Amino acid sequence: MSAHKEQWGTRLGVILAVAGSAVGIGNFLRFPGQAASNGGGVFMVPYFCALLLLGLPICWAEWTMGKIGGRLGVHSCPAVLGRLGGHRAWRYVGALSLLMPTVVYLYYVVVESWCLAYAWGYLFGTIDLGSDPTQYVAKSAAVFTSFSGSDADGLMFSGRIHCSVYFWLFTIAANFLLISGGISKGIERFCNIAMPVMLVCAACVLIRVLTLPPHHDQGETRTVLDGLGFMWNPKPVHATESTWAALANPRVWLAAAGQIFFTLSVGFGVIVNYASYLKPKADAILSGTTAAATNEFFEVCLGGLITIPAAFLFLGIAGASMGTFGLGFNTLPIVFQYMPAGRCFGFLWFFMLFLAAITSSLSLLQPVIAFIEEALGVKRRTSVLVLGVFTALGNLFVIYYSAGLTALDTLDFWTAQLGILVFGTVEVVVLAWLFGARRAHEIVATNAALHPPRWVFTVLMRFVTPALLLTVLVAWCYFNAGGYVATLRAGSVPLLSVGVIGAVLLFMLGLVFLADRRWGALPRASPHPTGVPTTKVESPP
Amino acid sequence: MTAIGWVFMIVSVGCVVSWVVFCYWHVLTAPPPPPDSET
Repeated sequence: MSAHKEQWGTRLGVILAVAGSAVGIGNFLRFPGQAASNGGGVFMVPYFCALLLLGLPICWAEWTMGKIGGRLGVHSCPAVLGRLGGHRAWRYVGALSLLMPTVVYLYYVVVESWCLAYAWGYLFGTIDLGSDPTQYVAKSAAVFTSFSGSDADGLMFSGRIHCSVYFWLFTIAANFLLISGGISKGIERFCNIAMPVMLVCAACVLIRVLTLPPHHDQGETRTVLDGLGFMWNPKPVHATESTWAALANPRVWLAAAGQIFFTLSVGFGVIVNYASYLKPKADAILSGTTAAATNEFFEVCLGGLITIPAAFLFLGIAGASMGTFGLGFNTLPIVFQYMPAGRCFGFLWFFMLFLAAITSSLSLLQPVIAFIEEALGVKRRTSVLVLGVFTALGNLFVIYYSAGLTALDTLDFWTAQLGILVFGTVEVVVLAWLFGARRAHEIVATNAALHPPRWVFTVLMRFVTPALLLTVLVAWCYFNAGGYVATLRAGSVPLLSVGVIGAVLLFMLGLVFLADRRWGALPRASPHPTGVPTTKVESPP
Repeated sequence: MTAIGWVFMIVSVGCVVSWVVFCYWHVLTAPPPPPDSET
């Protein structure tokens, strides 16, 4: 195996890169929708519990795994899992960490291209819902349908190629151009610019939303405070329940746990890979905690104060109660149509979403590229090319089967909702039980600027987090999987989508097989007390 | 917006902002990691 010399340039650089990975479309569209529909302010109780008991421990586990992997000279999750688990079989389990980012990338980059298309539309004035407010809803839906092709399969290629395909081509070109620059010169350099720009864009839109005048609609007057109230006031999930009943509703706790997983980018194997490029003596816990805090700032302080209040102000409950895509691509264009200087703020908003999405999609590509490099012993350009061709075919599947966004939804459910729970559980068990919680703590606490309490590793990671994860996993399957399994029986597109997931998994398992043969047997356990030598590179993994 | 709504919003936003300030204060004031000279 080749010894990779790539490293993050600065401490702030790695924090912004990981935060960029975590901050995505979900922070601004998914979180507000989940909170508003799951008890309003009450949702924050299970949300913060999930953050403390699931999100941060798994986040720290992934940073620790990555730091150990980097000191061993390996960067891909299969190699790291093989070493920490102490058996070659764990390399094959690590294929899950390649499956999830790849499949999520297949649809995520398509949504990313919609954000770019909307930003372009606002910049050049091509998105205009007219002057008749009664037509706004229909026209906004028509604009989204034209970009997403959600009316029927194959719309993007019927007759002539739709302009959204060109936005997709530009988006994947931008992704692969940036990722081919490498860790420091590609991802880090871009995130160092993109994250502050996102903050400025979001702050501008936040100030505009919070200073909007009251809106008069059919004899009703709504203010921004009413919008904030719709987002933050405790309310029942069902009309017949009491205000605080949401706290006793397992679906609310499940939604909070799912949101924490998705928003922190844990369970994808992304952080393991990013953390493996830390300098050997760099602090993993402080970097990881700061990246998580940055993500929460974008989610709670910006996403929580912008999206729902603005939607409620202009459109009332109906506009603020739509799903992620409905809120983002149907409701918000209407909001910008009503808003003074809406075209300018529409551009800032969708450009910010595009930046949030591209910093995330880069992080979905990087772990797989690192693995192909390690597995096949090829250079980065070759690895980028292989993954570029493979994922472009997958993107075309999502773009072609666009009716009702069923393909996208199915891929999202089995990977970004269920798969990350499974792999998150695997990671915690391997680190805390097979490698050893005490050893992990000892390694990560050395030279740490922010000392992690030992009980987080020896109690939380060993007992509490795995038990909670298994509970969440079982409950998730009980409440949600039935509907998706039923769609597999009913329709061909969901079945095809699961087939795509299966094909990607087979491809990744094949690569792991090649890697396993190339890497050979695991080396003997290190005599070093921490189990990890202080030398920079050790091979093979 | 009810009083309890204000409480939820201010506590949530306040906690996150405090957390961010705490982390970045540590990041910006912590000494740089020791050099990577290996034995």
